[in-house]
Amino acid sequence: MSLIEVKSLKKSFGPLEVLKGIDLTVEQGERIAIIGGSGCGKSVFLRSLCLLEKPDGGQVLIDGQEITAKGAKVDEIRRSMGMVFQKFHLFSEMDVMDNLCLAPMRLKGINRPEAEKKAMDLLEQVGLASRAHAWPTVLSGGQQQRIAICRCLMMEPKVLLFDEPTSALDPTMVGEVLAVIRMLAKRDMSMLIVTHEMNFAKEVANRVLFFADGVIYEQGKPTEIFDHPQREKTIDFINKIKYFSFETDRRDFDLMQLQGGIQTFGEKYGMEFWDIYRLQICCEELIYEMLNYCYSANEAVDIKLDISYAEANHATDIVISCGGRPYNPFEQDDDGLGVTILKKMAIRMDYQLVNDVNRISIRMDRRKRTAQRE
Amino acid sequence: MSFSDKLYKILIQGGSWKTILGGLWVTIQISALALLIGTVLGALICLLRTRKNPVARGIASVYIAVLRGTPVLMLLLLLYYGVFARAGLAPVMVAVITFALNVSAHVAELLRSALEAADKGQAEAARTLGFSAWSTFRLVTLPQVLRIAKPVYQSTIVNLIQWTSVVGYVTITDLTRVINNTASRTMQPMLTIIIGMLIYLALSYIIFGIFALTDRIKAKRRGAAA
Repeated sequence: MSLIEVKSLKKSFGPLEVLKGIDLTVEQGERIAIIGGSGCGKSVFLRSLCLLEKPDGGQVLIDGQEITAKGAKVDEIRRSMGMVFQKFHLFSEMDVMDNLCLAPMRLKGINRPEAEKKAMDLLEQVGLASRAHAWPTVLSGGQQQRIAICRCLMMEPKVLLFDEPTSALDPTMVGEVLAVIRMLAKRDMSMLIVTHEMNFAKEVANRVLFFADGVIYEQGKPTEIFDHPQREKTIDFINKIKYFSFETDRRDFDLMQLQGGIQTFGEKYGMEFWDIYRLQICCEELIYEMLNYCYSANEAVDIKLDISYAEANHATDIVISCGGRPYNPFEQDDDGLGVTILKKMAIRMDYQLVNDVNRISIRMDRRKRTAQRE
Repeated sequence: MSFSDKLYKILIQGGSWKTILGGLWVTIQISALALLIGTVLGALICLLRTRKNPVARGIASVYIAVLRGTPVLMLLLLLYYGVFARAGLAPVMVAVITFALNVSAHVAELLRSALEAADKGQAEAARTLGFSAWSTFRLVTLPQVLRIAKPVYQSTIVNLIQWTSVVGYVTITDLTRVINNTASRTMQPMLTIIIGMLIYLALSYIIFGIFALTDRIKAKRRGAAA
């Protein structure tokens, strides 16, 4: 029997369809990382599993029991799942020890000394034994989150659900929380983690789900998803590809506007100064090259420039398409100044003529500059 | 007449202090009963006010709006001379009902805002641990609501005590009425009324004191723990 079975789970908020039919089977001991852009439904999916969001359709079975069934003993089924929230949500009106002991004492009938012993044991494992009688408000975010994880573990759940457990934390505290999750992973705790920490997901998970368009868009082993993503949106997401485009139908187009746009784009995504500068030069040379050779003086112009920049590996691509006469700047007998510059700055250049449209793609790479410098 | 003579005349002569204490007792009785009933009623109104059912919500909203938006003295007169005119109720009972209704509207509203301010995430955390909706409310949400509502509740009580000073309109001899009578009898309005005000002030400070004490006990408990 599978630990979790999800069958065509659907959820909408008003007209917005967030989950469009999710199917998933989770086996005992699996550690699943759920990634995806914001608003892709990954959190809603996780919350639907324990019915914090009521699904509009489909089924969820936890350890063979259907939590979505009419008259299901939801409270009882929930005891086998632990949910860790982005914002910890420790009970503010009691101290750490009471936070941990409340559920096992009230729900499982464990007596106080036994519950406290178990709590101390867990607190020691996460390095917070000395804070057993502190109140949540005096603890740091990282400490609160570690205690929130302990609170779940007190109920000895079969599976832990983590909803962006480190997103609300100061960068200095992310590590301590990830260390605890790592420790649980080593013990073969089954878990589903919604996260933005890609390196962590890669390291800890044995399956990765990429959510997009309200479905599981692509899934696989971490190496498959992170190193060899197959589908378009996954590739864009993994490489954090950002886009910039510019279009003009005028020969005397606003060069300053274009350069300013590239500057802002590059700075926004943390490109280095020289890379931005080189990108600007390349775009300028490309556009003028095509303007000069594809169109005669009074002809209408249609040039489109697309830049994509991958934050993950800094790969920068330029694609320019324009009508007019077919012209391949890279196969002329004599290179002009512009083409010489382009050849120097690019590591890969392609020319295609598709439906009478010239299409040139250039891959820029910053490795070349470092090589030059040396 | 010396100051001590005046004081003697106002407070001691002819067992005057007994009358004043009697008035004070009436004020305390009305306030305490109205507070008790009003708080319970307020919680019920709040329950109605936070329902999904629009009819229940509407009724509660109108109730709260009318009682908070009209002078409590008008309500007192309405009940005394109108609604209960022929019911043969003791005036003090009418006063208790009046102030209970008034307090209930305030309590309903302060509970609602405290409920809204409570952390819904904590309730979600409790639910996912396996607590029922009721246990979650009792163990996790209610303690937060009480903490948040406490300072406002305190001033509601102090306001209530002061507002009961109008019950003299319906023949009740409360503290204000007794002070007024004493002032006329002794021809010493200045001193008598100041004494009356001081008694009200003392009452208010006793309320503040009780709340401050509970706060301090709680802080001590937390402080020792942290």
